[in-house]
Amino acid sequence: MDEYSDSDWNWDFYEELVDDVDENKNMIQCISCGKCVGDCPASKVTNFNIRKIITKVLRGDKSVLKESDIWYCYLCERCTRVCPKDNINIPLLIINLRNESFKKGYGPQYNDLRKYVEMSKRFLTSGVVVEEPLGDKLPQERIEELDEICNFARIKYVFKASRSNKNRAKRKK
Amino acid sequence: MEFSNLALNLDEIEKKFPDNAIEFFKDKKLCLFKACLEKYFPGVRWGIQDLLEELQLKVETCINQSCCSGTFFQRNLITRAQFAAINERNLNEMNQLADLVLFSCNGCYNSLLRGREFLNNHEVRKKTQEILNQLKEKDNTENYPGKYEILENLNLRLVHDLDFLYLIRNEVLNSLKFDLKNLKVAVHYGCHYLNLSRDKRTAETYLKDKTKLDELVTLFGGNPVDYQEKECCCGWGASQLVIHPKEALKVTLKKLKSAESVNADFMLMPCPTCLYTLSKPEYREKMKKWYGERLDIPTIHLNELIAILRGCEEDRCITLRRKSPRLDEIFEIITQQ
Repeated sequence: MDEYSDSDWNWDFYEELVDDVDENKNMIQCISCGKCVGDCPASKVTNFNIRKIITKVLRGDKSVLKESDIWYCYLCERCTRVCPKDNINIPLLIINLRNESFKKGYGPQYNDLRKYVEMSKRFLTSGVVVEEPLGDKLPQERIEELDEICNFARIKYVFKASRSNKNRAKRKK
Repeated sequence: MEFSNLALNLDEIEKKFPDNAIEFFKDKKLCLFKACLEKYFPGVRWGIQDLLEELQLKVETCINQSCCSGTFFQRNLITRAQFAAINERNLNEMNQLADLVLFSCNGCYNSLLRGREFLNNHEVRKKTQEILNQLKEKDNTENYPGKYEILENLNLRLVHDLDFLYLIRNEVLNSLKFDLKNLKVAVHYGCHYLNLSRDKRTAETYLKDKTKLDELVTLFGGNPVDYQEKECCCGWGASQLVIHPKEALKVTLKKLKSAESVNADFMLMPCPTCLYTLSKPEYREKMKKWYGERLDIPTIHLNELIAILRGCEEDRCITLRRKSPRLDEIFEIITQQ
């Protein structure tokens, strides 16, 4: 592991994240014990390393937003269970970092999000993520409420992108 | 303002009704939360519904309930406030017809508790109420006036099927026609049951919940077997299996292989998402193709197992999956007289 001196620590990035999601403030308690990494399913099969990510954030190193690592977290909450400190909400931190990555334009591009097109479409048009629900369908007025709740969310852009792609394909034909 | 933990207080019920917890539920209206993946495993829904009806408990589903939206929140496709608003809409709807909501899916259970937890954040709560207010403005029809509010003093309580079935285990046992015939069972709890603390009140309950499924297997005449990857993720990993299938299937493979290595006859779990991941024939094929290992161990949801043990018709338990590897064999072993 790299050696850090006091001057390496920079709180700006940490403060930005706490500003956005208050719960992130507990991250400062991290003692780098590595229990989270030892028990992490993602760390067993990829380079995902939450200890490294937290250290980078606390150093103000925003490269974590560009790197693909944050997109490999399983959000299984195992790290929260084994962490000896109280209330370091690692899954929420990861979701927050992914949001920042999206905002800066580093997040997954349309090709990765393409896998969500069908699910997004089903949710916004029928209120479930499968082809159709088991039993009664959600009434139309209630589906419209979901659509309204999701206004300006990425789920809508994913859905719209799928429709414009289809139209483009049709025009080409 | 602190938003209360909506999880049913299991300790209190156990203390009050040490031998007959079912008494607590007799005058309660129960609602089954409709998990999307029950579509592929209808026995997960019918298994518990049929049992509750036989026990003469009042049970229904809520037509206005939508998907919990956990998938979209976890992939950053909706915000915390939007997730909480979808959650509050569902809670409002279910609150009108039930005292208790039962969950067959770890993911849905976690979502409903998590959405509620987010409301403890002032900013999220404010935005959530603004979103719900917009619905009010839009919906002014006579038969359905917009009525969604953040319910501060909500009486509705949430309980996972596993916790519920464990509480009423003696009644469940009495309803069974068959037993597990000493079959070796590898239990899988699933991350969002095993690692969850947001539904717990004491350290004691936190630990106790790690043995309930094993205890039920023993009670039903089976033999729970220990295996190395028992507490590990199924591989779904909040859609990692969709986004990074090659890496995620390594986790799935390791889990299945570990259960097979101790000669388990089948794997048992309380979540349809884990079941989907661990049982889907396409995933088993991919594991064979990518990693050269064919794994045949059958997988069963707790609610499906109870339906089989109760001697329910095939279409009420595993009908859509009779062709799954070796599941048919397990069905035949259990149901032979």
